[in-house]
Amino acid sequence: MNFFSDDRMTELRQLFFESAQEILQVLNEEALRLEKAPEDAEIVRSIRRAVHTLKGDSAAVGFRELSQIAHELEDALAPEVTSAAPGADLVELVLSSADTFDGILAAHRGSLPLPSVEPLRAAIAKLRPGANGKTQLPSRAPSASLVSWSEYQQIAINQALQRGTRVYRIAADLDPNCPMKAAAWQLFHNVLQRAGEVLAVQPENAGAENVSHFEVVISSQKPEAWIADRCLIPAVIAGVKVTPWKARQPGQAPAAESAAPQTAAALESILRVDAERLDQLLNLIGELIIGRSMLQQVLGEFSRRFPKDSLRARFADAMAFQTRVLNDLQRSAMQVRMVPVEQLFRRFPRLVRDVAKQCGKEVALLLSGQQTELDKSILDAIAEPLAHLVRNAIDHGLESPEERQKAGKPGKGAIRLNAYHQGNHVVVEVSDDGRGLDPALILNKAVERGLLSSDEAARLSPAEVLELIFRPGFTTAEQVTEISGRGVGMDVVQSVVQRLKGAISIQSQPGQGTTFVIKLPLTLAIIKSLLLRIQERLYAIPLNAVVEISRASEGAIHRVDNHEVLQLRNTVLTLVRLGSPPSEFNPGKRIFVLVIALGERRYGLIVDTLVGEEELVIKPLDGQVVASELVSGASILGDGTVVLMLNLVAVVEHYSRQSLAPLPAAPAQLAPPPSPATSLPGGAR
Amino acid sequence: MSDPIRVLVVDDSALMRKLIPQILQADGSIQVVGTAIDGSFALKKIEELKPQVVTLDLEMPGMSGMQALREITMRYRLPVIVVSSHTTQGASATFKALAMGALDFVAKPHDASAHMQQVAQELIGKIKIAANTGAPRAPSAPSLSFHKPEKPRQRLRRSPTRVVAIGISTGGPNALQYLLAQLPGDFPGSILVVQHMPEGFTDMFARRLDECCSLEVKEAQSGDLLQAGRVLICPGNRHMRVRRMPLGDVVVLSDEPRVNGHRPSVDVLFRSVADEFGPASLAVLMTGMGDDGADAMGAVKAAGGMTIAQDKESCTVFGMPRAAIERGHAIRVVGLDVLANTLQAQCLHEVQPVGRLARAQAGQTG
Repeated sequence: MNFFSDDRMTELRQLFFESAQEILQVLNEEALRLEKAPEDAEIVRSIRRAVHTLKGDSAAVGFRELSQIAHELEDALAPEVTSAAPGADLVELVLSSADTFDGILAAHRGSLPLPSVEPLRAAIAKLRPGANGKTQLPSRAPSASLVSWSEYQQIAINQALQRGTRVYRIAADLDPNCPMKAAAWQLFHNVLQRAGEVLAVQPENAGAENVSHFEVVISSQKPEAWIADRCLIPAVIAGVKVTPWKARQPGQAPAAESAAPQTAAALESILRVDAERLDQLLNLIGELIIGRSMLQQVLGEFSRRFPKDSLRARFADAMAFQTRVLNDLQRSAMQVRMVPVEQLFRRFPRLVRDVAKQCGKEVALLLSGQQTELDKSILDAIAEPLAHLVRNAIDHGLESPEERQKAGKPGKGAIRLNAYHQGNHVVVEVSDDGRGLDPALILNKAVERGLLSSDEAARLSPAEVLELIFRPGFTTAEQVTEISGRGVGMDVVQSVVQRLKGAISIQSQPGQGTTFVIKLPLTLAIIKSLLLRIQERLYAIPLNAVVEISRASEGAIHRVDNHEVLQLRNTVLTLVRLGSPPSEFNPGKRIFVLVIALGERRYGLIVDTLVGEEELVIKPLDGQVVASELVSGASILGDGTVVLMLNLVAVVEHYSRQSLAPLPAAPAQLAPPPSPATSLPGGAR
Repeated sequence: MSDPIRVLVVDDSALMRKLIPQILQADGSIQVVGTAIDGSFALKKIEELKPQVVTLDLEMPGMSGMQALREITMRYRLPVIVVSSHTTQGASATFKALAMGALDFVAKPHDASAHMQQVAQELIGKIKIAANTGAPRAPSAPSLSFHKPEKPRQRLRRSPTRVVAIGISTGGPNALQYLLAQLPGDFPGSILVVQHMPEGFTDMFARRLDECCSLEVKEAQSGDLLQAGRVLICPGNRHMRVRRMPLGDVVVLSDEPRVNGHRPSVDVLFRSVADEFGPASLAVLMTGMGDDGADAMGAVKAAGGMTIAQDKESCTVFGMPRAAIERGHAIRVVGLDVLANTLQAQCLHEVQPVGRLARAQAGQTG
């Protein structure tokens, strides 16, 4: 009978995978600590405890192989073993164990064939005494019997020896093709009884279905060869070995036992919650916020109609109270989703170590700002891009030790990961103190690869040049190496960051190093937005992208190289116009220009009217509802109006890229405006 | 219906903190009031949640399981059930924990999908007992485990005067240690023990007992001889029988199905001892839940053997002895502190073992 429903078992396995992942993380971290302090027995104990937990957990969910190999590792990590083993071996062993465990876990998760554990088993065996034959007790010789004779059998054997009869030990293997094991055993036993007196048989259950090897002790007056000949029954017994009886070698002494004392820092009390449940909670809060704006709307209407009604004030009070509570609720729900960046950073020591080893470079990893908190889903999404940046920094950014010394830098390169809050954003920086990016080299490459013409190249600002490395199809490395060439290009890094409504920028000083700055929103779910109208359609953009709102008249807009630009104080702003330019040019018409910042660059978005500021709960739209990537989501206002959230990066890309293409004059040839509002079925949400 | 039993689960594995409560939830009369990741949290949660029973993993970071155990049993006077791993170290720590006042232990859940029913029954049963018995008494005879007893220099292979078969379950490890430590190295009887215990623990259990008493204690293997002054402990997950052979009396282990829900089963041992040794057999039922051994004790009595039940006052759980007493199979009821003397007196004189066959013949002629 199955005690657990499949559901429960699945849930349990899921939990196992999560906690196992944490255990692996601990193994990695502790191994790296051990590498720095090879003498610290406390670290070994902590590793052993982690392995112990993994062993127990994997046994509980029925992953025997994992449990078994973890058990072997745990034994090998016993103090009496590790004290004899050099720390470096131990570090390698623990790291490779973590990798092997990870492989097994991945295989279990994907129901794939399990990877072999033999290399790890061999590595574990190497650590244990006995493999080098130094401390092992005299064990059974290979030819010695694998069975042990019971006390009663030994008495019988001894008595036979005392009587002066010859005693033989017979080891026999059943023919694997022999169909009936029980009958075969009976036949063999009959032969033995004719040869002499059977003193002892091992195993006890000889004749059972799964027994194919047995050993027998008989006393007999017949010569050895005669017995061997008789015992070899064709098609029943495959092999037989008869040896005169010798006193048994002493058995192994029991190994000394010792329980490791346990002391380590206490952990925090943590409640584990499925991320999905949190999302659901946040979703409901989003609905509440929509509900609130509906109420607000009604209240406005009410106030207009009955400005003198005494109920109005009470209504407004209740509204204000609800708003306050709702804000708190929203903030706490967000807080729950926030996790310290440390969760992400802690993977890097291992990664840096491995990559540095592969590249033959010495690298110090400096982490700071680990306590900075970020939405869990964002954190998960940037893990891979961040890893790519770090790999790149080590592989391409840092020079070889010789080069560094020539340049007067310390031979050991530094990679720094830093995180901090900046307004409504979290900034994550990846910097190296390597050779820096060479703008000339980048330009050459880009032109060579046909990413842009040399004319255009000449017009780019230094910052724009650096950003070329984010273009698809661009690689600065002379060769795609094993480390960096993993299919995740810089373009993918950028697109992930942009999908998260963040921005990535580069700062580089030749000879000093390069810093990638990733700016991410604190959370994705609820966004402070600016509502605006362009050609009668309502749109929203994230408020934090807006640097400045300025007014201008159509007459102030100039055209340069197919771009519309506006001089704003001392800078020239490239303009982005959604929709077609006005059919009749009216230089006096007043327009709004929103100055938006994307990374280091600024653009002006031409807007007809501004509607207001609102916190919007953004619902993602799948491709079936809106085909345009220019829109990143939708929300509903209090009065039921659907508003589309513009994906600024894509919008700017779309319109500025298009005008970059050498089009012959006429701005009327700009692409038609996106009309997401019309392609969104009414009331779809 | 009475209030549910309030249980606190202490384990450093997140998985176990989920799995164990799930197992316990299957029984309506148990409520897991909380979980704790290590000893110091456990103590805080005990203050806060007032559990009646604590399940404890011994290998944890921070305050060690042993320290936590001491605090929980001494300061809070709560019964503790140790959830122990299958390794030798695990077994060793487990027996230390029992000696320090843990009420009982269960083996860590293993292969949740397959054996869970059994694990659940065992754990739930033990928690209910724990809730009933409350705080354990002060650990029995702690000093005994510290001084090494003297062993006879050389043990002669002597046939025993009588065969003493002991059946014991919950509360067994401590009671058995107390009993065996009082018996002298030249005890003339041969002792066979069925202690309900999971596989993988009995070897360490036997070794521990061997260290703290003058008798020779070992985990039984098929073909081991019954000798005076020797204690054979039936290994977990096997049945133990006795057999009289031309060159000596031996124990035989087997893998037959569970009897009374147990393997090893006390019934199996008692019945076989009664059959083979008749009046020379002496059956003792000691602390433990259930009624394993009670019926077969009747067989020992019928075969002319002696039957003894441990008394209620000295039992952690007065289950098996009570069953035997209620069925009228116990000839004597004896407290733990005098049990050693009783056995010594009973085994002083050799009793001629008369097997089943001989008894049957005697019955026909007489």
